[in-house]
This record gives sequence, C-alpha cells and structure tokens, in this order.
Amino acid sequence: MTETIPRLRLEHVSKAFPGVQAVNDVSLEVYGGEILALVGENGAGKSTLMNLINGVVPLDSGKIYLDGQPVTIDSPRRALELGITMIHQELALIPQLTVGQNIFLGREPRRWRFWIDWKRLYAQAQAELDRLGIEVPVQARVADLSIAQRQLVEIAKALSYHARLIALDEPTSALTERETETLFRLVRALRDQGVALIYISHRLEEVFELADRIAVMRDGQLVAVGPVQAFTPAEVVRLMVGRELTEFFPKVPTQRGEPVLRAVNLRAGREVQGVSLELYRGEIVGLAGLVGAGRTNLARLLFGADRPEAGEIWMDGQRVEIRSPRDAIRLGIGLVPEDRKSQGLFLGQSVRFNAGAGLLERLSRLGFIDFRRINQVVKTIIERLRVRTPSLNQRVRNLSGGNQQKVVISRWLTLNPKVLILDEPTRGVDVGAKAEIHALMSELAAQGMAILMISSELPEILGVSDRILVMREGRLVAEFSREEATQDLIMQAATGQLERRVAA
Amino acid sequence: MNRSSNHAPQWGEFLRRNSTYVILLAIVLGFAVLAPEFLTVNNLLTVALQSTLVALAAIGMTLAIITGGIDLSVGSVAALSGALAAGLATRGGLGTYPGLLIGLMAGAGIGLLNAAMIVWGRIPPFVATLASMAIARGLTLVYTQGRPIAGLDRAFTFWGSESLLGVPMPVWVLLVVAVLVHLLLSQTALGLHIYAIGGGEETTRLAGVNVGVVKFCVYVISGATAALSGLILTARLWSAQPNIGVGLELDAIAAAVLGGSSLAGGVGGIPGTLAGAFIIGVLSNGLNLLEVPSYNQQVIKGLVFILAVMLDYFIKQRRAVRSGRVPSTG
Amino acid sequence: MKRLTWLLNLLVLAALVLAACAPATPAATPTAAPSGEITLGLVLSTLNNPFFVTLRDGAQKAADAAGVKLIVVDAQDDSAKMTAGIEDLINKKVSALLINPTDSDAVVPAIQKANAAGIPVFTVDRGANGGEVVSHIASDNVAGGRMAAEFLCKAIGGKGNVVELQGIAGTSAARDRGQGFNEYMSQNCKEAKIVAQQTADFNRDKGLKVFENILQAQPEIAGVFAHNDEMVLGAIQAAEAAGRTGIVFVGFDAIDDAVQAVKEGKLAATVAQQPALMGQLAVETAVKYLKGQKVEAYIPVPLSLVTKETVK
Repeated sequence: MTETIPRLRLEHVSKAFPGVQAVNDVSLEVYGGEILALVGENGAGKSTLMNLINGVVPLDSGKIYLDGQPVTIDSPRRALELGITMIHQELALIPQLTVGQNIFLGREPRRWRFWIDWKRLYAQAQAELDRLGIEVPVQARVADLSIAQRQLVEIAKALSYHARLIALDEPTSALTERETETLFRLVRALRDQGVALIYISHRLEEVFELADRIAVMRDGQLVAVGPVQAFTPAEVVRLMVGRELTEFFPKVPTQRGEPVLRAVNLRAGREVQGVSLELYRGEIVGLAGLVGAGRTNLARLLFGADRPEAGEIWMDGQRVEIRSPRDAIRLGIGLVPEDRKSQGLFLGQSVRFNAGAGLLERLSRLGFIDFRRINQVVKTIIERLRVRTPSLNQRVRNLSGGNQQKVVISRWLTLNPKVLILDEPTRGVDVGAKAEIHALMSELAAQGMAILMISSELPEILGVSDRILVMREGRLVAEFSREEATQDLIMQAATGQLERRVAA
Repeated sequence: MNRSSNHAPQWGEFLRRNSTYVILLAIVLGFAVLAPEFLTVNNLLTVALQSTLVALAAIGMTLAIITGGIDLSVGSVAALSGALAAGLATRGGLGTYPGLLIGLMAGAGIGLLNAAMIVWGRIPPFVATLASMAIARGLTLVYTQGRPIAGLDRAFTFWGSESLLGVPMPVWVLLVVAVLVHLLLSQTALGLHIYAIGGGEETTRLAGVNVGVVKFCVYVISGATAALSGLILTARLWSAQPNIGVGLELDAIAAAVLGGSSLAGGVGGIPGTLAGAFIIGVLSNGLNLLEVPSYNQQVIKGLVFILAVMLDYFIKQRRAVRSGRVPSTG
Repeated sequence: MKRLTWLLNLLVLAALVLAACAPATPAATPTAAPSGEITLGLVLSTLNNPFFVTLRDGAQKAADAAGVKLIVVDAQDDSAKMTAGIEDLINKKVSALLINPTDSDAVVPAIQKANAAGIPVFTVDRGANGGEVVSHIASDNVAGGRMAAEFLCKAIGGKGNVVELQGIAGTSAARDRGQGFNEYMSQNCKEAKIVAQQTADFNRDKGLKVFENILQAQPEIAGVFAHNDEMVLGAIQAAEAAGRTGIVFVGFDAIDDAVQAVKEGKLAATVAQQPALMGQLAVETAVKYLKGQKVEAYIPVPLSLVTKETVK
C-alpha cells in the first residue's frame, strides 16, 4: 500500500557543525505505509538528519517536502504540528508525571483557557492506550513503570499526535526479546495504517526482520538506499564501515588457565539469591539473562560497589573481603559499567584525564602526581586500543559511543587487572567499534585475563564467550559450553523453561 | 515486571504521602504536652502570624525548586520591597497603596531580572539569584542609606497589625496566595509544565512547551511572593528595616524541603511547603515557650530539620518507589 | 538501612538530651515564695556580641538574687525575630518585659501588643519611639562625658589647649557625651581652652583626617576627647605620623583596640559602659515596679573609667 507521493522528501539537505560536515547533500524519500531503516555507524549523521526533520537544528541548505509541499521545520513544536514525531534513544518521558500527563504534555485539554480538564485528559489518554492495546494504568506515575512499559507509553505519546511520520531511534536498546516483539507488532500495525516510519538501529537482525527499505549513511552521506531484499547483512556492514569485516565477532581460541576468582553463595536482596561461580585465567564468560535477572547486581557485588548480605569471595585461593570498589581494584578486579556516561566516564574531562584517572595514586611520588609518566602510559594504551580522538585533550563527551567505551576500558588496562567485568560493553556502540571491542576482549583473555561479560545480545554472547552462564530471578540457572550453546537454549533458560546443572 | 498495579494504600503508603503533616502533628502534640501555653487559640494564631513571613517566601521558592532551580534573592527582595513601599508611601509622598503596589512590582522586577539571567543568559539559577541577592540588598541600602524608614500610616500597618474575624491580616494574605498558587500548580497547564521542567527540561521543550515563558512566570511569582513577605513584615514592624530578610532564603528552602520538595526538581507542592513553614514557626514559638536558651534552640532546629528530612527519606526508601507529589487528578 | 535507623536514633537522642538539659534556669530559682510568681522576659537584640552577653549575665545574677525567673530570648539582630520573641513571651504571660530593641521604631508595635495584654515594658540600652514604657535603663552618657572631662582636666594639669572630636551630629550619644564633657570643662576646668570642636562621624578614618588638619592649625595641644574610641584611635595615628607627643587622649566605649591602646600607654583613658550593671538595674527596676513601688522613667547606668591603673 505504498503511495506515489512520498510522505517526506529531503532534497540535497546539508548541515555542518564546527569542524564536521554532519549531513552532506542527502536526498531521501520516505513513503506512507513503509518502514525505512536508517543505519550507519555512530557519527555517520543519522541523529543529525533526524534532528533536521524534527526541527531541533536548522538546515544549512536543501529542502524538505511533506506530501509534496515544501515545508520549513524550525522547532519541535512545528514538527509536531506537521505530524512528525520522534522517539528518542533516551526516553523522553518525565518520571514524576503520570502516564496521561506525559502523553498530553504541552497540549493538555483545557477549560477556560488556563485550567486543565483532568477528566478529559485521562479519558483521552486511556483511549490512546486502548487503541494500541497497551495495558498500562493511565494514572500511574511513569517512575513506577518498567522500562518496557515506558517504551510503550512513549509510542502511545508519539501516536497521539496523529503522527504521519514517526522516527524511532534505537527503540529496542533497553528491551527484552519479548518486549521487542510487542514493539515490532505495533510498528507493523502502524505501517499498515499508512504511517511512514523511519527506524534507526544498530542491530542488523532487527533491521532485516522489520524494514521494507534500507538507507545506509556514512560520514554524513547517503551511500546506499534500496529494498531490504537487495542487501545481505554483510553488505550493509561493509557499506556502513566502508571496508570488509571478515567476522562479526573475531574469536581467538584461548587456553583456560588457573582459577582466579571464586564466588560462593553470594546473596543480596531479591536480585542475587545465592550465586556461586568461578572465573579462570584466559577465559571469557558470557553472562546472559533477561533485563532485571540480577546480572548487573551480581557484577556490582563482585566489584564491591554493593555489599553482599552473605557469601564469600576468593581470589587466587585466598578468602578476601571486598568492602568497596577500592578494595576490588587493589585485588585486581575491574568493572566497565553498563551506564558508561554516568558511571564510567567523566564526560566533561579529557581523554587523558579519563584514561589516566586510575593511575593518579600509583604514579605519584611524595604525593605529587607524575604527569609525564601518566601521559606516556595513557598514550600507549590509547594507541593500542585505536581510540579515535583528535588528541588526548579532547573532551570525552565529544567522542562516539564506541570510542567512549574504549576509553573506559583503557583506564582499566592501565591498572592491568586480573579480572575484568564488562556490563553490556557494546550497547550503543556502532558495528565497527563493536568488532574492535570484541577483538580486544579476546586479546586480553589470550594474555591471561579472566573476563566476565554481561550482554543482552545473544549473538554477542554466543560469538564471544568460551563459557555461558544464564541468570534468572537472582539465580544462576544454566551453564553451557561454547560448543553446546544456542540462542534457543539460552532463551529457554533465561525465561525459565529450562534448568540445568550449574558448576561451582 | 508488573509493579504498576499496586493498589494497596495502607499505613506505609499513608505515611509516605503525608510524612510532613505527621511530623508537624508530632511536634505540635509534643509542645502541647510540654508547654501549657502552647495549645491556646491565641498562641496558635500567633504561630500562624509568625509563620507567614517564611511561608510566603517559601511558596515562590517551591515553584523555583520544582523546576529544578532555586531563588536565593527572596530575603533581599523582601527588604527592597518593604523599603521602597515605605519610602514612597511616606517621604516619597505617593501614598500607601501606590507605594505598596510599587514595592510588589519591584519584587516582581527582580524576579524578571532573575529569569532573564537564567533563560536568556543561561546562567545557573544558583549563581544568577546569588547575584541578584547582592544587588537587591545593595539597592535597599542605597535607597534607605542604611537607616530604617518609619512613619507609616494606618492603611499600611493594617496589613501587618490588624485582624479580620479574629485572624491576623498576614494570615489572610497567606491563605489567599497559597490557595491561588496551589490551584495554579495543581490545576493549570502552567503548573503541570513547572513539574515537567523539573522532571526533564529537554523533554518538556521537545513536547512543544515554551520553557522560557514558564521559567519567567516562576521567578516573577517568586519575586512577588518574596515582596509580599517583605511588605507584610514592614507593616508588622510599622517601619521598613534595611536588614530584614537576611537568611530568609535559607528558611524558605528549609520549609520547601521539609514539605517534600526535592532539590533535584520535579517534586513538591504548596500544602507541604506550608506545613514545612509551620514546622519552622512552631519550633521557634514552642522552644521560646519552653524557655530553651537561644543557643540550644539553633542546634535543636538543625537537628529537627535533618531528622525530618531523613525520616521522609527513610519512609520513602522502605517503599522502594520513587516518589513524586504531582497531582494526579483534578 | 540499619545504619540509617541507628543514625535516626542517635539524632532523636541528641535532640531529647538538648531539650532536657535546656531549661537549666528555672531549677536555679531557690527561694522567695511571694516573688516566685514573678517571671521576667528579657528580649535582647543579639547574643552574638560580648556586651549583651555580659548584660544577660548581670540580669541573670540579679534575677537569681531576687528569686525571680528570667526567660531570655535572642532576636539575632532581626526585627522580625524580636517581634516574634516578644509575642511568644506575651503568650507565655510573663510578668514584665525587658526589651533591648533592635530598632527604636520597629519595636513599637510589639510594645503596644504588650501594653494591650497589660504587661509592663522596660527598655534597656536602646529606647523605643512609641508605646508605653515604664522605664528606660541605659548608660548615663552625660555622666560619662563629665567623667572623661574630669580625668582629662586632671591629666593636663588643669590648663592648656583641648580638642573635642564629636560623633555624628544629632545622635543621642554624641549629644549627651558632648554635653557632659562641655559642662564640666566650662565649670570646673576654666583654665583649659577648647580650641577645636569638629565632627568625625564616630569613624576611625575620619578621626585621622580631621585630627591631621587640627594638628596643622594648632601647634600646641594638651589633650583630646573623642566621643568614641574609633575616632580617638584615628587621632592617635595622626599624632604619631606627625611626630607630635605629649598629648593626652581620652576615648569612649572601651572597645578591645582601645583597651589595648590603654595598656600600651598610647591612650590615657576610655570611658566604659557597664553592661552587667545595666542588666542588674533592669531586673531590679522591674521587680521593684512589680512589687508596687514607684520607679523613675529613666534609670541611668553609671559608667566607669578604664585607665592604665584600672585596666586588667
């Protein structure tokens, strides 16, 4: 049911920021009743392109046509009026407000101009949710909802504008597989209602499952557009990065060495209910499970960020007490946290500062920091990890997600830990950098580091891990070797359809 | 996963929503038992009268805090408004009501200046209002030459020293302002947008709300309520004192925080803030009645403050749910 | 969470202990059945100034001696707090109020409230511009000026040129101190001659500049009296800079710098107020009045002279 006049047509659209040609002469059409996937590495210009359509930043040159009519979109408000809405990567809901208040924020039904008609607001919000079959209490505070419920509310909000064009930016990054399915059903239903959809994702399998057409961006330019059938995933990756990637997850075979870390019966609240595990030198252990299964909590216990209520931790055969991250670091345990922006990085500081922050105490004499030595160490590691930054003085805020993650990892490498825990190390990281991070993990393991990787992406778990543990509701419920593991088995274990002997 | 269907408004839930009132009640009961003079109609009216000063300033402060901002200028604004009104009404020869009006407008004007610095100058509210705090105090000293202005007529002092139906005028003024601002916060789009900005400014902007206009309203209202506080105090003292309101901003912040406002923004409300201001007022009055020496009073007030805030936090932690005191229905 | 509970308990405990040990004063009232019903409220402009702390101590001692109860409220230099404190004490139904106003105008409405409640009011140190006040208890600045003149006259041997540095024109302190000084000089020290009387606004800088000019005009000066210590300290600086010696300086207020200058011998004397005596007289006057005796409308508090001999 594709129409003949494109819903949205971009004609030679360009946008430059100081030092970067973010969008360079892009011409693109999106039709009502289709899902157009927009892919590209971070920094390829996808977000800027969306911001142009959404009126967040003004155009430098070029034209935008909506249903064949030239339009100027100078503010988000104007975009909304034109029926263009965007669902952002970071959720655009206000946690302190209710579902209904969020949906109608900025256009509340009024009485006598100033007064909000609460009855009408909630009735209309309920109608919006009902229309989409979303079962969320309309008067519940958003803060009390699960991530998935919030995502659904977000979509309901976007649709309540009677949007004719919806752009979704990485909508599944926080969703479980099942929630993703629900989302997909909704997206397809919208397409069938004649809405034009732009779908941005790093996950190519999603793109191939969902999209009608694919548009690939690289370095601000549109490098390919075409029906999904015209591409293979490998081709798309090649177009995105501009070079051939031989393997998604390069895996260097490693020799499992001595045990390093042993946890016995760790407990902390409902999230971790008696977990025992063992990590070996030279081994990458993948920790799979649904969001909320307690994987991050377990990682935080091992790193001393939270205190266990019970249980023991042994390092190199010695019983140890880890009361704080400081203790963990001293023992040689590192954690690359899930939320790198708030927990892993000093966003406003330089690459040098971020990578060298762990060395301050180690490389100082009489309390004075030896900046020259730190500089040398940082420089070596940054080069080794191929962090793409104009200089060590660059603020980390301005790096791409993949490079930011590499900076976090490089901080740990300066400390040379025995155990490195990575929590969702490639979330929000583009394909090229992702492969590099995986290669790096293999390399570190080959050098004898023990690695525990938490990931919600099953292909990543399967591709990188030597051994796979599955958590569900605070317990380890299954263990697989690299050879025996499959997506199905892991999902069954994660959702409680399968229990399996767990070692240690 | 399905945590949203918590239809169990029991004891804990009640405490969570009303912790400020529970604390106020506990303090009132405590004083009622310890000091026989406390629980008399006369004394309670005195407490209400004494609380108006902080309460009025705290009402505007609450709005600023809900947006995630702050208004440190309220104390200086109170002094400036009082001095201008008194000066213009007496030696300026304008008469009482024009004087009062200009005093009020001066407060709103400082609020306008605050908003301009915050919205257009992109200066953080803490810094912007710190500057206007100094400016307003300086203007007050320049205008008064550091000396009090006396000789107010009865039309002026009426607003501070007389009663209607047995209730002091300042309390009436407070009631009217509190009801108006509460309605504004809970029933109007502007009110909802004030909460929304505190919860997520960028989100609110992207929803098509003119965030700048909302902030202008907030700081102008805050300036105006601070001015009212200063005018009433001037009427109560029958003279404008250039040094009034020193430290008023801290009491106002304390009242808002005691009332459940979060300095992180997005949370707060007028009933809670009033209760917070009354806690401060009741403490001062009750401790005087109990003849607690003034040095000890300050320590006790600090302890009660931190105790109340911790209790609030404690109760909310137990529920393990992020709170928010946003009105959910009309 | 456990730690939080523990901390909460600790705070509650601390608050209770403080509240419990707080009213130490009523327990100290020993005897006196009839006057035991008397409760005095003392509202001070501030307790952040040693002068008023000493005043309170004097009042407390007098109250203990008379067997009456004294409640002290600190207004922290805030007229709003002063008014609130007075209101609280009215509700507490004290027998009399001793008020040291933060401001003579701002205190008037509160005094009228006390009047309406039938509570007698006494003002201490600073007066009130309205309301009914039984007595005003304050330093006798006229006597202080006279005391300074007497000392200066003796120190210069009864003759020579004398300079008077005056305070801000129109203030009661400048008026009264000048009056006492000039009365004594004209009546009892006729051979000395007052050659210059200039105002230096109670200010050290101005004291320095004004006295520099006087030094130019007057080759011979035997003695200087200034209405406060700040001005006299400025004048001493000017004299030292000009290399003029042998001048007897007398100041007023006995501030710390001045007492130090007396110790060093730069300043001959300064007139000190007696806050403890002021507090004592205030309480005694109120008790007398409450027992039905007649009291004067103005109770002068004598001053004392700080010289090299008397300084501690």
